[in-house]
Amino acid sequence: MRFLIYRYNPDDGQPPRMQAYELDGFENGDKLLDALLRIKAELDPSLSFRRSCGEGVCGSDALNINGRNGLACITPLADLGDTVEIRPLPGRPVIRDLVVDMEQFYHQYRAVKPWLTVHDPEPETEYLQTPQQRDQLDGLYECILCGCCSTACPSFWWNPDKFRGPAALLQAWRFLADSRDQATGDRLAELEGPYHLFRCHTIMNCADVCPKGLNPTKAIGNIKKLMLKHHV
Amino acid sequence: MSWRGAGGLRPWLVQRLSAVYLAGFLLFVLASLASASSISFDAWRGWIGRPLVNAAVALFALALLAHAWVGTRDVIMDYVKPVALRFSLLVLSGLVFLLSLFWSLRVLFSVSAA
Repeated sequence: MRFLIYRYNPDDGQPPRMQAYELDGFENGDKLLDALLRIKAELDPSLSFRRSCGEGVCGSDALNINGRNGLACITPLADLGDTVEIRPLPGRPVIRDLVVDMEQFYHQYRAVKPWLTVHDPEPETEYLQTPQQRDQLDGLYECILCGCCSTACPSFWWNPDKFRGPAALLQAWRFLADSRDQATGDRLAELEGPYHLFRCHTIMNCADVCPKGLNPTKAIGNIKKLMLKHHV
Repeated sequence: MSWRGAGGLRPWLVQRLSAVYLAGFLLFVLASLASASSISFDAWRGWIGRPLVNAAVALFALALLAHAWVGTRDVIMDYVKPVALRFSLLVLSGLVFLLSLFWSLRVLFSVSAA
């Protein structure tokens, strides 16, 4: 197999380039991360990329694979063809090779206050929910913050400093949809205005690439509907 | 008006409501054309001179320009970063749409009075 990998080292003064590697002898079921680990071990120890759990739970190894964002650790090599082009997540500043600076992404995540806000006195025991209320959180809480969605979103490319992005907005809806949360008004007020929420033009790249099969576009639609209900 | 008051929800709602009206109006025009007894300038003039049709076309012009304004504003806000250029383009496109509206209304008024 042939791998074309984006290389950039800020210390050597060279512009970014695509470097080719040839590697074979993969086993059935090997993932792209297995190939990257072998390239690093057998061909080029200078290649940099992030990885941690290796099984699609931590979200560290999100990459642009053949033009499409995904997690290297759950992408089967068998699905990728003879030549695989691997680039860092689009739109983020590259620190080195496939490692990007995700600070703006985390900033937008923090800005939606992704935690439960309760104004009533805390209960003696747990906060209770009915099974139906708990069901509202399915498809929302599973997000692993890999960043595949936000970095595939043109609206986030153009305004990463102001638009919250699909990942953060999915979490905004996760707390708006939570029966225990009491900050609905504040959360909606924070998202009003032309940028934070409404830069979304329903392009749906987010839902298309999410490795967990989540649908941020639908969550964003739900926020808009709830905002409308609060205003009329 | 604060910058956040420049609006997210309201333009979004305007865009959707105007889209619904534009779609409905298009069906109305197609139905009117299909059921017209003759296709001629005089028939058209008579049709658009009817007060209800005249008002519906005026509302169409308003909906179309409001829809276009939200879309243009979105494109400018997405792609044009330098503040002075962005502001100029917003003002210019707003002016063009506003003048287009007044012009359409003037034309509609002239054919309704005839």
